Amino acid sequence: MLSPDKFLFVAVMMFAIGLIGLMLRRNLFVVYLSIELMLSSVNLILATFSRMHGEMDGGVVSLLMIAVIAAEAAIFLALIIYIYRITKSVDSQSITQLTHKRDEA
Amino acid sequence: MESIIFFILAFFLLSGAIMIVFSKESLYSAIGFLMVMIAMAGMFALLHHSFLFLAQILVGVGAVVVLSIMIILSINLKEENQPKQNITRKNILFTTLIIAPIAGLLLYAIAKAPFAFAPIAQHFGTIETMGKVLFTHWVLPFEIVSILLLGAMVGAIVLSRRRLHVES
Repeated sequence: MLSPDKFLFVAVMMFAIGLIGLMLRRNLFVVYLSIELMLSSVNLILATFSRMHGEMDGGVVSLLMIAVIAAEAAIFLALIIYIYRITKSVDSQSITQLTHKRDEA
Repeated sequence: MESIIFFILAFFLLSGAIMIVFSKESLYSAIGFLMVMIAMAGMFALLHHSFLFLAQILVGVGAVVVLSIMIILSINLKEENQPKQNITRKNILFTTLIIAPIAGLLLYAIAKAPFAFAPIAQHFGTIETMGKVLFTHWVLPFEIVSILLLGAMVGAIVLSRRRLHVES
């Protein structure tokens, strides 16, 4: 017999792994995929609570979240291409256009 | 039977998530993301959200994952342009030490709370009930999301357009 605990457990594990990836990696693609992972886990939590209470509202918010995930994917991937064109790398440490250069000061 | 399907899906979900974070090649991360999205759709189906299952397959797998893989393939990263980062055991241990209390607290709260599924209504999760709720109680968020999508589309076009005066 399924219980909401199992779904919530999986969602929390997913969120934690996404957070670890966000802190651990410097590759911009992996950062993007980690953020998507965390968004998806929240989506799963919304659907689980909607099923738990037997009302559709959580499911509707989850549907809107899927649209937000698609919008975020478009913007983030366009941003990655833009950064790659300027710096020729996908390293998050290479975005230094706004930093104060010490040797010039 | 449902429990067996759930455990298979959870295994694919978590192994895909670990694959995203710890694989060296970006493409393998994208394949892990594909596994996560498909397993998420299966989870929605287990929760009787048939329309969410459909939307997840169409948008999540069909659009987002395919777009990510296409961008990764079209950028064609050379080896020397990859971030030079070796994930040491010390890094993983330290990050896990930071995350573990948050996750542990959440898991403890979930284990303590008396959650149980309500008995399922007859038309739960179908397109009809979903559409009725969406277009009565959630009209304003729906419109806001459509404006957000329009803005994201314009932003993506502007950002990815090739410029003439890019400083090299």
